[in-house]
Amino acid sequence: MLVKEGEYLFLEGDKASSLVIVKSGMLVGMSKQLRQRHWQNFGPGSLIGEFSLLESAPREYTVRAAENSEIVFIEQAALQRELELKPAWFRSTLSFIANHCHIAESNQKKHKIVQALPALLFLFSKHLSTSGADNIPVTTIRKKMLVLNNTDASDTDKLLQILEGIGLLKVEGETVRVSSLQIVPMLYEALRYRAINKQVSPNILSITDQLVLTAFVKAVRDNGIPLKNGHATVPMDTFESQAKKTLFGSTLSMRTLAPLLQSGTLQSEPAFGEESALENIESISGDFEHILDLLELNRIFPLLDKKLV
Amino acid sequence: MNGNSRQQVIPPTHSRVKAGFVVYSPDSGNRELIILDEGELVAVDKAGGNRTVKFKMQPGDIVGVASLFEREPLRYTIEASVDSEITVLSEECLESELKNIPVWLLAILKNLAVKTRLLKESARTTPVENTLMSLAEYCAHLESGHKYAFEDLVREFNWITRIPAATIKEDVKALARRNFIAISKDGDSLYLQVHNAMLMQIYSDYLFAQDEGISWEPLRLSLPQKRILVHLTTLDETVEMEAPEWISLLNERELPIDVAQWITLQDLGCFKEGLSNKFHIDLKKIEYFLTALRYDSNLRGAV
Repeated sequence: MLVKEGEYLFLEGDKASSLVIVKSGMLVGMSKQLRQRHWQNFGPGSLIGEFSLLESAPREYTVRAAENSEIVFIEQAALQRELELKPAWFRSTLSFIANHCHIAESNQKKHKIVQALPALLFLFSKHLSTSGADNIPVTTIRKKMLVLNNTDASDTDKLLQILEGIGLLKVEGETVRVSSLQIVPMLYEALRYRAINKQVSPNILSITDQLVLTAFVKAVRDNGIPLKNGHATVPMDTFESQAKKTLFGSTLSMRTLAPLLQSGTLQSEPAFGEESALENIESISGDFEHILDLLELNRIFPLLDKKLV
Repeated sequence: MNGNSRQQVIPPTHSRVKAGFVVYSPDSGNRELIILDEGELVAVDKAGGNRTVKFKMQPGDIVGVASLFEREPLRYTIEASVDSEITVLSEECLESELKNIPVWLLAILKNLAVKTRLLKESARTTPVENTLMSLAEYCAHLESGHKYAFEDLVREFNWITRIPAATIKEDVKALARRNFIAISKDGDSLYLQVHNAMLMQIYSDYLFAQDEGISWEPLRLSLPQKRILVHLTTLDETVEMEAPEWISLLNERELPIDVAQWITLQDLGCFKEGLSNKFHIDLKKIEYFLTALRYDSNLRGAV
C-alpha cells in the first residue's frame, strides 16, 4: 500500500488488529499516552503495532507519512496461519515474550514514580525553607520536576497523590499544602541519609523510642502541661504513670529512656550521665513540636515503601 | 516476506527425568528453553550457599525465554521436584525453527525482546535528558556563597537524578566555565560554591525555554521596557497604585509606556495585584529580569 506524504495512517487509540511494516519511505508517530515530546521516526524495516496484531490492542501512535511511503499490513489471519504450522511451544513462547514486555512496561512505570520521589522531596523541602510558606503551586512543582528529573506532569501528580494518601501533604486545587513545615525536609533527609550512608537515619526511631515519645506527648496533653519556648517539662511520676499505659504495662527503665536522652531528643533533670538512675530523675523535658514531627516522620517512613513499592 | 524458504529444523529434545534431576544449572552457561510437559519443576536460587525455591512450574510452563530472546541469563537452577517429562530447545534448535518463520514474525519477536530489554535498562539509567539543565536547577536551590563539599553534592545529585558522576562532573565544569559556580580546593577536599543561586535559576529557565523551543521572557524585553525595569528598582515596593497611575508616573519620568506595554510588564510578573485594583512592583521578579540581562553572555556561553 502506498501512503502519500502528509497522509495520516491512523490515530492513537483507533481500534486495530494488524501490524504495519514500513517497506520504504518514512512514517512518523506521536503518542500522548507515551508522553512523547517529539515525533518518532519509522523508517524502512520498522514495525508499528505488534500488540495490535497479537492482542488487538488499540493503536499506540498517531501515524502519518513524512514522505511518500510504501507499507504492508499483516492481518491476524496471517499470524494464525503461521502459528498453526508451528509446534505448540512456539505460540506459548510468543505469548510469554509479549507478556514479559507488558510486565517490563508496567514495572518501568512504577519505577519512574519511585525514582522521582527524592527529586520531589528535594524541591519541596528547598521551596518550604526558602519561601517559609507551607504551600507550593502545583504548576511550579510540575515544571521543576520536569526540569530537574524529566518527570512529566502525570507522574508528578501520581506521586503527589501517593504522598497525600499517607498524609504528608494535601493537594488543594492548584496548590500543594503541607501540615508541618518540618516533615518534608526531615523525610528527605532520612531518605538521603539511608541512600548515601547506607545506614538508618538517626531520626528513624526504634519502636520502644517511639512509644516513650508517645508517652511524653500524651503526658503533656492529658495533663495540660504548658510549653515554655516550645519546650515541655513533665514531672517524672506523671511521665512514669503515662509510660506504663503507653508501653503496654512494661515499666519505664533507664535502658528504655537512655537512647533518647543520649541523642538529646529528651532531656532530664538532673542532666543525664553515665551514673544516672531513674529514681533520681525529677523531670523529663523536650522540644514538643520537634517530638511531634519525629513521631509523624516515623509514622510516614515505613508507609512510603508500602505505598510506592 | 512470505517465509517460503523452509530449511531443516533441528528437533527439540524430549526427556523423562527423575525427581531431583537438575534440568538446568546457571553454571553451564547454556541458553535453552525448557518446557514442562508433565510433572513439576522448581526454580532454586542457590546464591550465598542458601537454597531458596523461587517458583514452581506446572505442565505447559516455559522457562528460559528471557535467556534466549533477551540475552538475560537464567539465574536459577531448575530441578524436577517429581518425576517429570520435559522438552528442551537448545539455541541451535530455536534458531533452526526461527529460520522457517516469515521475516515479519521474526521481527516481532526481536522487537518485543529489544523493547523489554530497553525497558529494563531504563530502570537502571537516569531519566534526565538535559543533564546540564537538571544540574542548574539543583544548584539554584543551594545557598549563594556557601562552600559545599563537592563529593557530597555529587553523591546527593546522583541519588536524586541517577545522572552518572562522570556526567555530573563534566556539567559542573560547564557551569564553572560560565562563571556561575567556583570550585576550590582546601587540602585534599574540593568545594563547590554557587555565586548567585538566582542566576542558576535563570540559567535553568533559559535552558528549559531552549529545550521547549519557546522564546524566553527576558530576551523579549525591548529597550524601553529594560529602562523601565531599571527605574522600577529605585522605587518603594510597598507603593500601590492603579494601572493608569503607574502609566502616568512612568510617562512623567520620561519613560514612555502605553497600556499594551504596561500589560506586558504585568504579564511578566513585574507588577503584582494588591487590593482594590491596585498594583505594586515585584522587586524580586524585576531583579530576576535584570540579572538575566546583565549575565546574558554567560547564559549564552559566550564568556
